[in-house]
Amino acid sequence: MRATFRLLGMGSVIAYRALFNWTTPIVFVGSLLVGPLFQLIFFAYVGRELSVGDDRFYIVGNAVLAAAWTCVFGGTMAIGNERRFGTLGHVLLSPRSRTLIFLGRATPYALNGLLVAAVILAVGATVLGLHIPASAIPLLALCLAAGAVASAFFGLTLGALGLRFRDIWVISNVTSALMVLLTGVNVPLDQLPAGLRAIGSVLPITHAAAAARDAAAGAGLAAIAPDLLTEAGIALAYAVLTAVLLRVFEAESRRRASLDTL
Amino acid sequence: MRSLRMIAMGMLFHIKHVSRSPFDIAVFVVVPVVQATLAVYLFRASAEPQKLLQAAVGAGMMGVWSSVLFGAGGAISSQRWQGTLEMLMLAPRRPVMIFLPITLAQGAIGSYALLATLVWGRVLYGIRLDFARPWAFLVTAPVTVLSLGAFGILLASAFVLMRHANALQNALEYPVWLLSGMLLPISSLPAWTGPVAAALPTTWGARAMREATAGGPVWPSLGWCVAISALCLVLGAISLVHVERRARAAATLALA
Repeated sequence: MRATFRLLGMGSVIAYRALFNWTTPIVFVGSLLVGPLFQLIFFAYVGRELSVGDDRFYIVGNAVLAAAWTCVFGGTMAIGNERRFGTLGHVLLSPRSRTLIFLGRATPYALNGLLVAAVILAVGATVLGLHIPASAIPLLALCLAAGAVASAFFGLTLGALGLRFRDIWVISNVTSALMVLLTGVNVPLDQLPAGLRAIGSVLPITHAAAAARDAAAGAGLAAIAPDLLTEAGIALAYAVLTAVLLRVFEAESRRRASLDTL
Repeated sequence: MRSLRMIAMGMLFHIKHVSRSPFDIAVFVVVPVVQATLAVYLFRASAEPQKLLQAAVGAGMMGVWSSVLFGAGGAISSQRWQGTLEMLMLAPRRPVMIFLPITLAQGAIGSYALLATLVWGRVLYGIRLDFARPWAFLVTAPVTVLSLGAFGILLASAFVLMRHANALQNALEYPVWLLSGMLLPISSLPAWTGPVAAALPTTWGARAMREATAGGPVWPSLGWCVAISALCLVLGAISLVHVERRARAAATLALA
């Protein structure tokens, strides 16, 4: 058990440090904080001008979205970059469970996403003048964490596709763009047609954002529990899907000798 | 004439190069359509659904800017990653003549975003393409797109001075959308943003497009867009020479 936790903990931390480039603060700040902050401000002003949603709708929604992007790209890179950097073969030669190795990587990305969301939320609320009661912060943090975990597993699912498809960056970039539209963070879900709403309902952060908005407005745990549980269920579903895809695509890659094909 | 031929051939070569990249094609094809859809649903939900055509044009301009920012702005970085930057710099022409075709090509590729958002809006959402000044729009659109391509030279030269250009690219997309008034009027922003917005060619390009769509004096705005972009082109050309000399002296062309 200890060895398993060591594999999950140390392995994921080392992989996080190795695969991400932001060992320099400027890259981290520019990519993960400044960009999403301006995105939040952009949509907040759009919301004000068009009277589509109030500041809380956009600030909280885009804070959750900032965490999601961090986790989706992180999760994709966690597996995809192994192939790009030529280290995938070494990982797959390991005698330990690859499913555990890769699923463990969700933890640092989720923590990273939570940090990003907290910073974006704090700065966005300060700049745009949104007051969030102190009593709401624990529940808000819970909602952000749920969204971050679901997004990290979703990112790993996309990354797992990297064992089968060569250019997973297409998938992650297009998916990220679609998340802006379909998760209800910028366009209220009731404004979308039923088909798009249905897609949004199985994407990460849709329910976390709804719960976070309610929490920021002062709702209690009982009120946000359904959305939180749904988000947790979605996280679990993507974790299982990732594990299945990893097994299937690893076997397929070995059979076709296409592990290191770029 | 030789210079014009070089620019034309360079643009064609770069467009062919990009057309071989599934990533570029997928992103350039899908993302503008998503942005157009987003704009349509936002404006439909608002109290001003009659402005849907302006929203579609604005979303198209957002796509043009993204193309210029990530394509033209990152042109030098891309050449460095591909290992072709040194060879380009060895060419017996001024650096601006080497990179201008690339940035213009990215602007031209970005024009797809404009076209796609209009077609998407017409076909799927029934937005009537009732331009107040249709002929002015037909002139304004390509001129604006090429002006932004010229503006890309300044971005490219600025990015080559910075090791982490991608971080700046990620940070610059939304502020320019916001400050240029592509989707919502600049008057809704704080007053201090006015001078910053006025210095951006994207602001005047978006304004010219909006005036061609909804009515207004198109040509002064377009003139400012071209003038500021030309200034950026001159500054970018000077900057590229400086960057080239510095990189040669320090032997960091592939590393800078």
